[in-house]
Amino acid sequence: MKSKYSRSLTVLFWAALAGAPLFLGGWNLGLLSQLMIYGIFAMSLAFIWGQGGLLCFGQSLFFGIGAYAMALTTKGMIPGVPAITLAGLVLAMILPALVAGLLGLALFKGRGLYGAYFGIVTLSAAVIAERLAINWSYIGGFNGILDVPPLRLEWGSWQIELYDPLLFFLVVLVAAFAAFLVLLKLERSAFGTVLRGIRDNETRAAFLGFETAEYKTVAFAVSGAVAGLAGALFAVQFAFVSPAILGFALATEVLIWVAIGGKTVLLAAFIGALAVKSVENVLSDTLGQYWLLVLGLLFVAAVVVLPRGLLAPFLNLSLPPALRRSEPLKKSTTT
Amino acid sequence: MNMDAAPFLTVREIVMDFGGIRALDKMSLDLSRGDVKCIIGPNGCGKSTLFKVISGDLDPTSGQVFFMGEDTTGLSPQKICRKGIARKFQIPSVFDELTVAENIEIAITAATKHYAPFSLLRGGPDRSSYELVLAETRLLEYGGKLASELPHGIRQQLEIALLVVTDAQLLLLDEPTAGMTEEETDAIVHMIQDVRDRLGVAVLVIEHDMSFVRKLGSPIIVMMKGAILREGEYAAISQDPEIRQAYLGDIE
Repeated sequence: MKSKYSRSLTVLFWAALAGAPLFLGGWNLGLLSQLMIYGIFAMSLAFIWGQGGLLCFGQSLFFGIGAYAMALTTKGMIPGVPAITLAGLVLAMILPALVAGLLGLALFKGRGLYGAYFGIVTLSAAVIAERLAINWSYIGGFNGILDVPPLRLEWGSWQIELYDPLLFFLVVLVAAFAAFLVLLKLERSAFGTVLRGIRDNETRAAFLGFETAEYKTVAFAVSGAVAGLAGALFAVQFAFVSPAILGFALATEVLIWVAIGGKTVLLAAFIGALAVKSVENVLSDTLGQYWLLVLGLLFVAAVVVLPRGLLAPFLNLSLPPALRRSEPLKKSTTT
Repeated sequence: MNMDAAPFLTVREIVMDFGGIRALDKMSLDLSRGDVKCIIGPNGCGKSTLFKVISGDLDPTSGQVFFMGEDTTGLSPQKICRKGIARKFQIPSVFDELTVAENIEIAITAATKHYAPFSLLRGGPDRSSYELVLAETRLLEYGGKLASELPHGIRQQLEIALLVVTDAQLLLLDEPTAGMTEEETDAIVHMIQDVRDRLGVAVLVIEHDMSFVRKLGSPIIVMMKGAILREGEYAAISQDPEIRQAYLGDIE
């Protein structure tokens, strides 16, 4: 069942986000920026999981690589790369995409890894990366990297540092919206259809001539790039990165946001992250450690009762017209 | 060399062993462009194995497959498919969670040779053509339905349509009418004759249903123990006492 209002709801939601600065003060704007960064991260997982059918259990790997790339670049710690924001953002997307691409080639070529095996390998990759970061003193070891500089816009001799929460909020909003549009466009293109076809019946796709491993690898790399973007913004906002953001805890969290929101709908995953994180901010004080229990139960409920997620039914945009032609039959199916 | 001068499909002395079992025993077969042939034979005689070898699912123990003058033995299923051999699986296999129009989009994407992602990202197929393709394959009224919601016969038709839309030159159909009503079976017969007459596509069909074989009216290959026992027209085959006893006898 598709909600008639999902399109309006989608537009309304983005408009509301854009209008948020009219109602929120600096502190709350900062909080909202932080939530949106998690939202971008959630969309990256929703793309590879919902469209590609690849349950990546180590998405934090790409988030963390993005964060480290941003921090190291803007602190001038990568030889040969200028210490500017733009270079940091570019590297923060290219590096995770490369890692995801290589990982994808290794995992999908030949017989390929499926289902739980893929999950286990990606989880291991994230844990290994976390251990590496802890033991690599050049990138700060266990303590991570402190004093990551804020975003700096430069134009010739003119430059501005985005200390102001409003400006930073706007940058994050633009990044989130751009990520949403790019992923949505991919999803609704023929590329997206082939990707869903591979998710649904990989053998059939291969026996129509498609190089399914390459499709999955490219989708994985795109997802990695978006996760890296989120990581870069995260590093800037907190002015701090640590090995923990590469590892298991964050990887599990993002999985829960996306499962609760709905993996097949980008905006549902995005709002899933916002919602769970907001509730966590409120409840973790009163519930203390029981919060994790509540979160776990919610996750189980979402997976068992509503495998499509709590929000997906309301935000599921209809397919492009060419992919759903059947006006006469539609009436009979809705009864 | 003229493409037409080379034989269309030549299967030469294929042997396929599974452990101690010989599924195909020096099986040879020739097919010309636009030919339709039915393969019949008892269970376990190697019919499906033959399809798996031709389509690249299995590497034969020995022997070769030539398609349009090229040795395709041992190539990956993807590569063989791109050369124009498309196989319909014994268990119906379409993209169940996608709409019929999305299924068609995947086949059209294959027809426009976007087999690798980067070529597709640069520009996909023209979506305004889908309605026409859906109409030609008689699936227009189902366009927006999920493939899993289709009646069994239509779902089988969809799978054949996918293969035809990819511009395949040879279709391998493994029991395309299994579990169908007579009407649905007739639709498949019509579909096969249509793609042969209109597009010059060659078709090999594995089938158990003798009334289907009779309606299709094409030459028959009888397989037994991994090799061809007899080849001929329906009338001759159905009168052959050896075949009646070995195969037809136990259905009628």
